Amino acid sequence: MTGLINAVPTDKPEEYRNVFVFLETRKGAIVKSSLEMIGIGKEIAEKVKEKLVCILVGNDLAPMAKEAGKYGCDKVLGAESPDLEDFKTMPYAHYAAQFISEEKPNIFLIAATHDGRDLASRIAVKSRTGVTADCTVIDIDPNERILLANRPVYGESTLAEILCKNHRPQMATARPGVFKVPDAQDGRNCEKDIRRVRVDPDLIRKEIIGFRPKVEFDITDADIVVSGGLGLGKKEGFQVLEELAKELGGVVGASRPAVDVGWIDRDHQVGQTGRVVRPKLYIAAGISGKAQHIVGMKQSDIIIAINSDPDAEIAKYSDYFINDDVYAAIPELIKEIRKLKGEKEVEIST
Amino acid sequence: MALEIVVMIKQVPDSQEVEIDPVTKTLNRMKARNVLNVADENALEAALIIKDRAESHITIVSMGPPMADEAILECMGKGADRGILLTDRAFAGADTYPTGLTLAAAITKLGKFDIIFAGEETSDSSTGHVGPGVAEFLGIEQITYTRSVRFEDGNVIGERELEDGIEIVRARPPVLITVRLGSNIPRRQTLRKKIDAIKTGVETWTLQNLGIPAEWVGFKGSPTVVRSMKTIKEKERAARKITVSEIGELVKELAGNGVIKMEVEQQ
Ligand SMILES: Cc1cc2nc3c(=O)[nH]c(=O)nc-3n(C[C@H](O)[C@H](O)[C@H](O)COP(=O)(O)OP(=O)(O)OC[C@H]3O[C@@H](n4cnc5c(N)ncnc54)[C@H](O)[C@@H]3O)c2cc1C
Repeated sequence: MTGLINAVPTDKPEEYRNVFVFLETRKGAIVKSSLEMIGIGKEIAEKVKEKLVCILVGNDLAPMAKEAGKYGCDKVLGAESPDLEDFKTMPYAHYAAQFISEEKPNIFLIAATHDGRDLASRIAVKSRTGVTADCTVIDIDPNERILLANRPVYGESTLAEILCKNHRPQMATARPGVFKVPDAQDGRNCEKDIRRVRVDPDLIRKEIIGFRPKVEFDITDADIVVSGGLGLGKKEGFQVLEELAKELGGVVGASRPAVDVGWIDRDHQVGQTGRVVRPKLYIAAGISGKAQHIVGMKQSDIIIAINSDPDAEIAKYSDYFINDDVYAAIPELIKEIRKLKGEKEVEIST
Repeated sequence: MALEIVVMIKQVPDSQEVEIDPVTKTLNRMKARNVLNVADENALEAALIIKDRAESHITIVSMGPPMADEAILECMGKGADRGILLTDRAFAGADTYPTGLTLAAAITKLGKFDIIFAGEETSDSSTGHVGPGVAEFLGIEQITYTRSVRFEDGNVIGERELEDGIEIVRARPPVLITVRLGSNIPRRQTLRKKIDAIKTGVETWTLQNLGIPAEWVGFKGSPTVVRSMKTIKEKERAARKITVSEIGELVKELAGNGVIKMEVEQQ
């Protein structure tokens, strides 16, 4: 417990070295967003010729430590105990902060997942330092070794660069899906320091009593998203979209009102209060293009809008604008894709 | 004994009305109306649902300018019993660290608490870091990103929304809960409670009431500083008009560019 205490500037920041990355794990494997942190962490560590150190908290850490080494981590620090099997904020933050106070890293990164954000500010408060949330651009000033943490603000319209000059470590959480997963290689050198710990029972104050895995395919994982809005006019419209999505190997998304009227589940909602998707192809069918929807899909590579209103706002966010009825355009798309697939099939078989 | 519940809220500029000044590239908050942060409405509703079933006393705590008392009164009009506004020039310009510290100092001053609620994040800062920070200052456990919360046999049970599923967590109070935006339908104010709220009024606490040094809070107490703000360049898009009869061509083009894959499905 930190108590009511202020953040304190670090006396000798030059003594703080190396980049720490906290690794989130699930069922004995490192989650993808944490592998992305190894990528960006390694990149900035190399710029200042320092080490990338990965923190693991959990149980049976050896396989994950090995995996971290393959992805480029120079050293793994682990706290291992059966009591740490499940994610529990207080003991997890405790061991992360303990590693910080022992090893004095200059930088500490965590993926901005829900568990990552759950932990990050607690670790920051324990270390009496600052943390910048949800960064999408991360760099380092090579001379001053100052972390340049950039995060989008104001509905993704502006990038704010935030510094934590006087406190150590300089902490940031980084948005999942933005940084690249590095290539895995066997035979890299990785020092391992995994400690069996006895967790103070006073730190165990919550219990995971159940987990329901997502049955739905996560729309943020999909390469192609076919979304529908109120312009579909009826629930059955989503069956037509589903058919198109299936043909394209994609998934179905939706505007908020389409969810609100009960045409489709909330897991499919794209936008400010739904999911932010960045697929290769986004199709917006019968969606007007209000700002709250646009923030959820504007980073898509290619956007096709289908809207019967020639002045629909969605048009200016689209690469292709089909100014027609969804029930004319979607079946045509399905037909043409099948036709092309048919042709290809013939080519292969002859 | 009644459950002591604290709900931390923030008044924010209405995200639908916020404009970016094209010249200074800063947020033009002046034009926007101020509203209660939407996720905080859901946090209050989660607290009120508990109060519907178990005897509870709800205190709203908010840090903000004097006008933020409006947002607190709104919460009282929905059923919160007491409202405290932490307002002082010294609090201005705080990043997440001193914000959490200031809120935690106020909650400590309140005395006994069982459950602290907060929204998952605010629409104007979107960090989600303040709630957990408060829990750390107070030395209590937390259940974040909940989509439902119930109080049962002296335990709080929260369903957390994670990237890959729903995690169900049980904790004994005191505990801090953050609530997902849109996870419930906030009730409306009642006329009766609105009148009561105006009668009761919002208490104002300044730095002096909290007993922490001025250097610890606000801008002075913030480890992070914003160095620069840049407009993110929107990708220019062509909005090429395609008629239904040209869809065949479009499909070929997209397949040619590898945007859509034409692999024949494995049977
Ligand atoms: C705090 C807040 C958060 C929000 N979050 C989200 C969010 O996360 N996601 C989201 O999507 N919205 C969100 N919204 C709502 C948002 O402001 C818009 O209301 C919403 O995106 C509009 O949905 P829509 O495009 O489906 O419906 P409409 O705006 O009603 O648009 C329907 C469109 O369909 C077209 N159309 C009608 N018939 C046809 C036809 N037969 N063929 C082709 N086109 C047709 C119309 O021309 C129109 O453009 C939020 C709002 C608020 C206040």
